[in-house]
Amino acid sequence: MEKIGVVLSAKEAFEKLEKVGEGTYGKVYRAREKATGKIVALKKTRLHEDDEGVPPTTLREVSILRMLSRDPHVVRLLDVKQGQNKEGKTVLYLVFEYMDTDLKKFIRTFRQTGQNIPPPVIKGLMYQLCKGVAFCHGHGILHRDLKPHNLLMDRKTMMLKIADLGLARAFTVPLKKYTHEILTLWYRAPEVLLGATHYSMAVDIWSVACIFAELVTKQALFPGDSELQQLLHIFRLLGTPNEDMWPGVSKLMNWHEYPQWSPQSLSKAVPTLEEAGLDLLAQMLQYEPAKRISAKKAMEHPYFDDLDKTNL
Amino acid sequence: MAANFWASSHYKHLLDQEEVDMVNPLDKEKGVTLEDFKLIKMHMSNYILKLAQQVKVRQRVVATAVTYMRRVYTRKSMTEYDPRLVAPACLYLASKAEESTVQARLLVFYIKKLYADDKYRYEIKDILEMEMKILEALNYYLVVFHPYRSLSGLLQDAGLNDLSMTQLTWGLVNDTYKMDLMLVHPPHQIALACIYIASVLREKDTTVWYEELRVDMNVIKNISMEILDFYENNRMFTDERINAALQKL
Repeated sequence: MEKIGVVLSAKEAFEKLEKVGEGTYGKVYRAREKATGKIVALKKTRLHEDDEGVPPTTLREVSILRMLSRDPHVVRLLDVKQGQNKEGKTVLYLVFEYMDTDLKKFIRTFRQTGQNIPPPVIKGLMYQLCKGVAFCHGHGILHRDLKPHNLLMDRKTMMLKIADLGLARAFTVPLKKYTHEILTLWYRAPEVLLGATHYSMAVDIWSVACIFAELVTKQALFPGDSELQQLLHIFRLLGTPNEDMWPGVSKLMNWHEYPQWSPQSLSKAVPTLEEAGLDLLAQMLQYEPAKRISAKKAMEHPYFDDLDKTNL
Repeated sequence: MAANFWASSHYKHLLDQEEVDMVNPLDKEKGVTLEDFKLIKMHMSNYILKLAQQVKVRQRVVATAVTYMRRVYTRKSMTEYDPRLVAPACLYLASKAEESTVQARLLVFYIKKLYADDKYRYEIKDILEMEMKILEALNYYLVVFHPYRSLSGLLQDAGLNDLSMTQLTWGLVNDTYKMDLMLVHPPHQIALACIYIASVLREKDTTVWYEELRVDMNVIKNISMEILDFYENNRMFTDERINAALQKL
């Protein structure tokens, strides 16, 4: 990453092979670097049309990726190139290492064939996810939008990498107000849904837990289609929270009176998960954010004891 | 933005004083001396502050913008990167990086209000173009750490977090952005130097506290001396001298 953009334009340096995705801020292409033949992912960022230059989310993603230097479980930003589109407007290309699939597609292939993802594979993926999240958190970065779609994978090696840090941000302690309209509903932590103004690393752990359960059942754990529905899905499984279970919950901005459910056993929702896995899942789904297990502690959980971690 | 300083690119990017004080050859050709160089950077820090006060952004955005501006000039010449454009463009970029975006047209409006001089006059298009050039010059490293966070924690720890000490030290930290200190020293050392100066001024005994911190007091005292030197010389930084320096570009 020594030189950026100045020598070759993106068009000269890369050959676009195919469009592989489209996000809020632009298209993603699979491309070949002409000089080396290396396959990369080009994330093309349109600059705002309303004369506001580089979108803040892009700036945030780039600067955060710059900081999360070289963790194997965070997608690697190889380069940033400035270029021009057909209309002569400036575009920004983020050059990432190429990964051939993501966890959403991976789960879908199993769902379609009716097979289960082998438990050791789930364990390996979960460990890598915890490791990547622990790395981000160790650098003071909250991801805020973890979901299967944002977890890139290599089918052959089963390597998992966290991507799409567009909503991520560095946090200070004490944690201040963040906008809460951020996470995809299904993976959104209850404190976010309830309008907590202070939130922390624990929001990412909640998402990790939802992904964990989804790997096992191939179905979203809490598939809500509105904020209220999302909360009710959660309450139905984990019980409607109260001041005893979660001190301060009734003071949260969006708190109302809800139907009263008592907690169900997690093994009902995730029946094929082994005992140690259920324990880890339960610790990740603690209502009180401060009680939720950290990513670093999760890596040390007995669930991972029989996992061969040498290549992870 | 703030995160873990020691794991950050900011920490790895700290420079030696000699590197910071290198006048770019292109500027040197035009007769820009080290004094001129420092004066222009100081003037541009003030410009960023004035502009920031107009558009009402937090001190943190000012601090980040000034840091960007000073980093740019460790790599680029003022001849090619006109400070009168770099300053507002850095504020624009910092406002985005610090999540309190200011619209470019607002900046352009206040630039015109602040300076009648044509040489300061830039349009939205110029700011957006310069934003891209600054991003390249900074190599897209945008996360910057500041002494403010260490400052409040340290004051509390020292039991000096009364209003008068807080205001005095906060003001001192603000003034350090008129210098290149943040390119050379980690933020907590700058904070400690400001507390040191303030405690001497207010006659608070902090000897034991500093001893318990196990910091290198020589480093802290040297930074303090630099700050005091700056105040000492401040009288000589007249508008005429600043304009003369800018004329050379």
